[in-house]
Amino acid sequence: MGQETVDLSVQLGSLTLAYPTLMGSGCYGSGQEFAPFVDLSRIGGIVLKSVTRQPRLGNPTPRLVHTPSGMLNAIGLQNPGIDFYLEHDVATFADRPCTMIGSVAGFSIDDYAYVCERLAARREIAAVELNISCPNVASEGETFACDPRLTARVVGAARATTDKPLIVKLSPNVTDIAAIARQAQDAGADALAVVNTVRGMAIDVQTWQPRLGNVTGGLSGPAIRPIALLAVYEVARAVTIPIVGQGGIESVSDALEFFLAGASAIGIGTANFIDPRIPERIVDGLAAYLRQRNLHSIREIVGRANVGFANAHQYEGDED
Amino acid sequence: MPSLQTRARVHVTTISDRCELAPGVVLLGLHAPDLGKAARPGQFLMAIPPSGAAAAVALGIYEARADRASILFFVCGKRTSELSTLRVGDTLACSGPLGNGFDLSANPRDVAIVAGGAGIASALLPAEALIAAGARVRLYYGARTQALLVDAQRFADAGCELHAATDDGSAGRRGYITELLEQAQDRPDMVLACGPTPMLRAVADVARRFGIRAQLSLEETFACGVGGCWGCVVPLTAESAQAPNFPREDRGGSDVVFARVCKEGPVFWADELRW
Repeated sequence: MGQETVDLSVQLGSLTLAYPTLMGSGCYGSGQEFAPFVDLSRIGGIVLKSVTRQPRLGNPTPRLVHTPSGMLNAIGLQNPGIDFYLEHDVATFADRPCTMIGSVAGFSIDDYAYVCERLAARREIAAVELNISCPNVASEGETFACDPRLTARVVGAARATTDKPLIVKLSPNVTDIAAIARQAQDAGADALAVVNTVRGMAIDVQTWQPRLGNVTGGLSGPAIRPIALLAVYEVARAVTIPIVGQGGIESVSDALEFFLAGASAIGIGTANFIDPRIPERIVDGLAAYLRQRNLHSIREIVGRANVGFANAHQYEGDED
Repeated sequence: MPSLQTRARVHVTTISDRCELAPGVVLLGLHAPDLGKAARPGQFLMAIPPSGAAAAVALGIYEARADRASILFFVCGKRTSELSTLRVGDTLACSGPLGNGFDLSANPRDVAIVAGGAGIASALLPAEALIAAGARVRLYYGARTQALLVDAQRFADAGCELHAATDDGSAGRRGYITELLEQAQDRPDMVLACGPTPMLRAVADVARRFGIRAQLSLEETFACGVGGCWGCVVPLTAESAQAPNFPREDRGGSDVVFARVCKEGPVFWADELRW
């Protein structure tokens, strides 16, 4: 008792993660940046920074503002473009001791399909996340995740290019995230990342200027945790594919909430900016929690939130 | 500027000494087996607030000895406010040392170090290194008022020539420290500067007029502090040795590339910045 091994591995489509913790795209570089501070073999995987068809300089500065209980960012998908990325960056991912998941962003359905196909073809990349929900690129970025039909088309086009697991990252800035989640699932997504950042802004009252060069940004951190948790809960009831729950997770307790709401794995982003040791602490804490309750696998608690409303819903369904 | 980041790790330090140098200005000595040994002039660390309630704080490394390093900071928000409550014996975890520091490889013989306000925190290590190498070092130290010219004597004791300016004229010249630099009769062969951005821009102008090179330690809002998020970038000429690995061909017709202040910097050559 007590030292019994617990199973923290999870499955996202055909992808097996040794630990249920993914480092959020854009927060963790390519992993190497954090390697001096964390044992990368004890995290599930890294979702790499999004790459686009063409190189992008990114947004004007300032790109970051710390806010109460979180931060706003508007990086603007700064990246070297897929050609340069494949030639210079991807080969260096081979020796990482954790799963490397590519991330694709774009401005047209063709962009997504093209970059997804080329990225997924590389053996260093275990899976691909479709970032159809970046709030920080002029007009087009988030359009896909805000429209169920466009979501279906872009996911379908990417799906056709690869058999590797496809994770689709959804936006919280929508009225009915469950409807969009269903479209992504039906178009062939293997898993859903729920959610990207919440749109927001900040203004300097001395200069009357927006505090981000891009004017608006994406809010992350504990400020958005309840929003993200509800989104995970709603999506979990709408789809059967696994969910990567993310949004302000900083502790084992936060992580547990997301598993109970229906997430099979969790994403950690902004918390790494507080303390790079947080992902390992969460893994240790999850194992301890499971042992304490005589559970053997993290999978046993997924979606187990005991929700009266859900039972009522089930009851109504039976009456039909 | 040579990459020094391989020595970085999380150091769990113990506060060995604490001094309030002026109201709201705190010096914390950190006992850590090898943080001090690893630190180079111009490097910084990310101090992890013990409450875990907010992002880590980037702070210049003020002093560095075998088993002791220190941080010197102005209390200016909730994160530095929390750090200011730490007492001797408390624990403070820090990631570091981080970033690329001042490049002293050209072995300059006569150097002006310009420090403004909290920028003094990054001035002592280069001053000591230069003096140890036999260089003449003049410190041009600016602050709002006399009480905030903290630890000036420390620099005099280390062998710096002191020039001071305050906004209110309570010590040294009344006005900007860069005006004093500009009036220097014998021009230095290099300038190092750390302080608020308007001061750094003024230093860059003076250095250009003097026909000498300046290294600026930039102040920018960080998220990760280790190069992972690209939030703290500054425009740099693509020809700079510090330009990150990025495609050289298609940059929208521009010869500018965004470099990370936390990773490629925080110290950049003034004549390579395109800000």
